[in-house]
Amino acid sequence: MEKITFDNLQETLFHERLDNGLEVYILPKRGFSKTYVTFTTKYGSIDNTFIPRGKDEFVTVPDGIAHFLEHKMFDKEDGDVFQKFGVLGASANAFTSFTRTSYLFSTTQNLYESTKVLLDFVQEPYFTKEKTDKEKGIIAQEITMYDDNPDWRNYFGTIQSLYEAFPINIDIAGTVDTIQEITAEHLYECYETFYHPSNMSVFVIGAVDVDEMMDFIRKDQLGKSFSEPEEIVRKYPEEPIQAGQKKVVLEMDVLRPKFNYGLKCNNVSIEGEEMLRQDLAVNLLLDILFGRTSEFYTTAYAEHLIDETYNYDFTFEKGFGFAMIGSDTEKPDELEATIKKTINAQKTEWTITKEDLDRSCKRRIGQFMRSLNSIEFISNQFTQYNFNGMNLFDVVPALEKMTLNDLKEAFQTVNNEESHSVMTIIPPVKEG
Amino acid sequence: MFTKIELKKGVNLYIRPTEQFKTISMSFRWTAKLSAKQAASRTVLSNVLQDSNEDYPKQSDLRKALDELYGSVFYMDSGKRGNSHIVSLNMECVNDEYLQTSGVFDEVLNMVSTVIFRPNLKDGKFDETIVNREKRSVMERIRSVYDDKGRYAQKRMLELMRPDHPASISSNGTEEDVQNITADSLVETYEKMLTEDAIDIYIVGDIKQDTIVEKIRTMFDFKEREISYERYENAPIEMKETRQVFEKQDMKQGKLQVGYNTPITFFHKDFPKMQVMNGILGGFAHSKLFMNVREKESMAYTINSVYSANYGILYVLAGIDAQLEEKAVTMIQEQLDAIKTGEVTDLEVDQTVALLANSIRSAFDSARGQIELFDQYKQLDENFNADKLIAEWHEVSLDDIKRMASTIQMELIYLLSGREA
Repeated sequence: MEKITFDNLQETLFHERLDNGLEVYILPKRGFSKTYVTFTTKYGSIDNTFIPRGKDEFVTVPDGIAHFLEHKMFDKEDGDVFQKFGVLGASANAFTSFTRTSYLFSTTQNLYESTKVLLDFVQEPYFTKEKTDKEKGIIAQEITMYDDNPDWRNYFGTIQSLYEAFPINIDIAGTVDTIQEITAEHLYECYETFYHPSNMSVFVIGAVDVDEMMDFIRKDQLGKSFSEPEEIVRKYPEEPIQAGQKKVVLEMDVLRPKFNYGLKCNNVSIEGEEMLRQDLAVNLLLDILFGRTSEFYTTAYAEHLIDETYNYDFTFEKGFGFAMIGSDTEKPDELEATIKKTINAQKTEWTITKEDLDRSCKRRIGQFMRSLNSIEFISNQFTQYNFNGMNLFDVVPALEKMTLNDLKEAFQTVNNEESHSVMTIIPPVKEG
Repeated sequence: MFTKIELKKGVNLYIRPTEQFKTISMSFRWTAKLSAKQAASRTVLSNVLQDSNEDYPKQSDLRKALDELYGSVFYMDSGKRGNSHIVSLNMECVNDEYLQTSGVFDEVLNMVSTVIFRPNLKDGKFDETIVNREKRSVMERIRSVYDDKGRYAQKRMLELMRPDHPASISSNGTEEDVQNITADSLVETYEKMLTEDAIDIYIVGDIKQDTIVEKIRTMFDFKEREISYERYENAPIEMKETRQVFEKQDMKQGKLQVGYNTPITFFHKDFPKMQVMNGILGGFAHSKLFMNVREKESMAYTINSVYSANYGILYVLAGIDAQLEEKAVTMIQEQLDAIKTGEVTDLEVDQTVALLANSIRSAFDSARGQIELFDQYKQLDENFNADKLIAEWHEVSLDDIKRMASTIQMELIYLLSGREA
C-alpha cells in the first residue's frame, strides 16, 4: 500500500492497485461521522463505439446505454439493491456522466456490510429481456423530465451546437426512441467490456480504518474470479475546430429568454500536469474576464444584460472541453455582443495583470480548501481527475506556479470565434 | 452541540469549536414575523446590503477584497419557517492554519461588521440606482419560478391549499410588494431589523471560545431587545372534500402534486412518529411509493413524499404521463391505505429508521448542516443532538405508524401538464 501525504493540506491518501487491476484509494477524514464509498468505471455516454471484449470488430451501441446499464445494475434476481442498503442504513445512489459511471453509498454504520453490497452488486450483472423492457418506462419519464427543463435544454443544446461529431453531443440518457432499441444482450456486451476491475476504481473517504478497509477490499476481490485485463479499444470521430452550429434558438414555455454562450476548447489531447495547468488557467481567465470583479460583470449587471442566474464554467476532460457563459436576459443580442467584445478586446490588447492573476489564484486556493470540507467533492473530483491522469491534490501547487503566460496560452485555446456558439431558449412566439 | 452565550437580551451567540473543517463558518440570522410585505422588503434589503457598504461602495471592489481574503464566501439570503421570516448573513473563510498568511479571519469579521453597521447610505438613504436594480433582481427571481415546472407546480399546490397563509407566502414576497419598496422604506426596514429582530449568531470551526466571544461582543454591539416569541400554531383545517385542479402549460410531462393535511406539526409530541410514517410512504428508495409506483408499474422516474411539518402538510409529488393521473392517484392512495391498515413490515420500519438516522448524522458532517439543523431543532430543545432524535425514531411502533397515517386527509389533487394531453 502506497501512502501519499499532503502536508500543507493535512491530508493523507492511501493507494493500492490490486492484482486484478482495480485501483483502490482510501482517505481518512478526522471528525467525520459518515463514510462515503464510490465504485466507478471509466465508461460513460461518449463510449458508444468500441471493440467488445472477445470480438475483433467495432460496434456502435444505442444512445443512452451507459445510463440504462447503471439503472439496471440495481435490479437483481433477488430484488432491488436499494433494499439491501436500506436495511444497513446506508444511502445509495449512482450517476452516469459523459466519461464515468459511479455507484456509491454513504453511511454512518455497517460500513463493511455496505461495502460488500456495493462491490457485489456492481460485479454481478443480471439482465433479462423482461426487466430490460420494463425499465424503459421509467427512463422515458426521466428523459421527459429533462426535456421540460429549460436550463438543461440550454446547457445540453449548447454542447450539441458546439460539437458536430464527438459523441459528447449524445444525450447521456439517450432519447425515448433510442432506448427502445436497447436489449439485455447489449447490456451484457457493454458490461463485459467496461466493468472489468482494471477499468475501475474504488474511493473510500471519511470515517474509516485504512488497514482494515484495504484488507477487506483485497480479500473480497481475491475471492472473485475475473478474466485477464485487456486493453479497451474505443473509437471517437474527428471533431472539427469550428462549432457545428453558430446559433440555435428553441421555443419553450418560459417567461424570459435564457441565453448561453459556448466556447469550444481546441487543445484537448493532453493529460496529466499539462492538462491540470490548462484547466486551471482557463478557469482563472474566466474569473478575471467574466467573474464578479470584472468590468464585464459590473457593466452587464448594471445594464440589465444579466441577472442573478448569471453563471460561467469550464468543463475539460480528455477529448473535449468547453466553457459556457449564461444568464436569463431580456437582451440576448446585446449580451452576446458584450461577451464577444470582451474576448476580442483581449485579442487586440492583453490587459490582464499579475495583480489580477494573484488575486484570482488566492480565490481559487480558498475555494479549493473549502471544497475539501466535502467528502463527496473530494471523492468525485479525485476520481475524475485521476481518470485524466491528474492529481486533485496538485491543485494548490499548480495555482501557485501559474504565470501570465499560462493564461495567455489558455486564452488561445478558447478565443476562436469560429468555435463559439450561442444557444437561446425563448418564450413561445404568439401566432397571428 | 453548540454552546449558547446570551450577548444581550434577544441576541444570542452559538459557537461550536471543531477541527473537522478547514474553514470557519458564520451565520447571522435576523428573525421577524412573516408577512408578504415584510418578506419583500427584507429580501430586497438583503440584496442591497450584499451589494456594497461604506468601505466598498462598489460591488466589484467588495468582491475583489473577498478574493484577496482567499475567496471568502459572503452572501445574504432570506427564508421562512412557520410564521417567521429570516434574513441571514453567511460568511465562510479558510482557517489561517492552511494559508501562508494570517489574520484572514479577523479581516473577515471586520467586513461582516461593516456590512451590518455601515451600509452604503447617502444622506441617510440607500442609493436609488442600487435599490431599483435589486428590486428588479428580486422580481425576476419571483417570476422565474414559472420556468421551473416542478417548483411552479409545488407553489401552485400550496397557494391552492393555503391561500394568504404562511405556508404559501413566498420568502421573497410578491412582485407587487417589491415594486412598492422605496429607498426610504428600505431604511425603515433596515433599522427595524437591526433593533427589533431576534438575532442568532452561529460560528463553527477551529476557534477558541473565549477569544471569539470577546471579539463578537465588542465588534457587534447590538442593542438589547424584547422578543415576544409566538410559536406558530396551525389552525385546524375544515375539510369538506378533496379538490381537483388541473392546469396546462406547454410541456411534455405531467407534474402531479397530491396535498394532504395533518394535525401533527413540528411542535406536536408525535412529530418524530410522523417523520417515520413519511419515510415509509415515500421518503426513500425503499419506500412504498418508489417500490410500487416506480419499480412495479414503471410509471414514474421521480415519486416521493414530503412532510412539511411546520405547516402540517404532507404531499406526494410525481413526474408522470399526464394520461395516467387517475391511476397514479389511486396507487398513491393505496400505499397510504396500506399503512393505515398496518401493512408495514418490520423491515420497512427498520430501513426507514436507519436511513433517517443516516441522513441526520450525515447532515452534521457539514458546518452548514450543523447550523441549519440545530437552528431548527433548538426550538424544541436547546440541548438538541442527533442521538436524542434517533432514539425517538427507534421507539416508534407499528401502531404509532398506523395512527399517524390515519390523521392524514387528502385535500388537493393538482396536475400541471401539457396542452394536448
